[in-house]
Amino acid sequence: MIVGEQKPLEEIKGFLDGSQKVLVVGCGTCVTVCFAGGEKEAQILAASLRMSTALTGAPKEVTDVTVQRQCEWEYLDLIKNEVQEADIIVSIACGIGVQAMAKHFPDKWVVPGLNTTFLGLPEEQGIWTEQCQACGNCILALTGGICPIARCSKQLLNGPCGGSEKGLCEVKRIKREHGLPVMQTDARGRKTPVIEDVDCAWHLIHERLKALGKLDMLTQIQPPKDWSTARDGGPRRIVREDLMLLDEG
Amino acid sequence: MIKDVCNEPGILAFCCRHCAYVAADLAGSMRLRYPASLRVVEIPCSGKFEVIQALYAFERGVDGVMVAG
Repeated sequence: MIVGEQKPLEEIKGFLDGSQKVLVVGCGTCVTVCFAGGEKEAQILAASLRMSTALTGAPKEVTDVTVQRQCEWEYLDLIKNEVQEADIIVSIACGIGVQAMAKHFPDKWVVPGLNTTFLGLPEEQGIWTEQCQACGNCILALTGGICPIARCSKQLLNGPCGGSEKGLCEVKRIKREHGLPVMQTDARGRKTPVIEDVDCAWHLIHERLKALGKLDMLTQIQPPKDWSTARDGGPRRIVREDLMLLDEG
Repeated sequence: MIKDVCNEPGILAFCCRHCAYVAADLAGSMRLRYPASLRVVEIPCSGKFEVIQALYAFERGVDGVMVAG
């Protein structure tokens, strides 16, 4: 699913300058399941914005509504009355939902309340990890169901690099909460970001293929990947004529 | 609303029907006193409590929210 994380309240408040009537629009699909932009989060954000703007002496009228999916026109039609009433729309759907809102309501100013983070899965309660980069040419059949495109820092295709050590990647990750780096103070009193280890995807692939008795698959050399199906080929589009409505006029 | 009747900080207590609410009931039976500024709301389970209920309470001027269960 698409995983998102709510923007800091101050950033969202900054978008509201010059607007009085604010509509927070949640989405009932991916961002609901990752507890970032569903009905509950829309209500909480609206209440937080009401209280926060009231405390600064310039209270805004903030309401909220949630649709089943912000990325489909039919669902957006259901909230057109609420949208017409508002000066500004804070969409807490993924970037697709924000753009769908902006396209469907061309005379409305639409701003994002979320950072769309990645395509991932809830690994355990409260932890989501990136699993897919939508490269458009899936190679999971070659790698035992573990994606080196999304999970190897170098997106290697033929085994680990020299930076793989004890199952960990040489690249570390900056720990983030609400999109912002988590900081710590070192022995010299300097603020530094908290660093987390990252699994080596090729180590995981090796271990899995070994467990399944398919290690010989790694002897097949993969040629350089054709990235034209990924973002490198520009914005992508799928046309399915079998699904298109016929123009009988 | 609570401040209309007393000047103490207004506290809204969300109490689980099966334990905390029963305890509050028992406290009443035992004639134990608690501040008039405390309002008890019976909920089916403390797991039913939602953050938005606390925020709505704060928006309406409550000073503190307690969840007991």
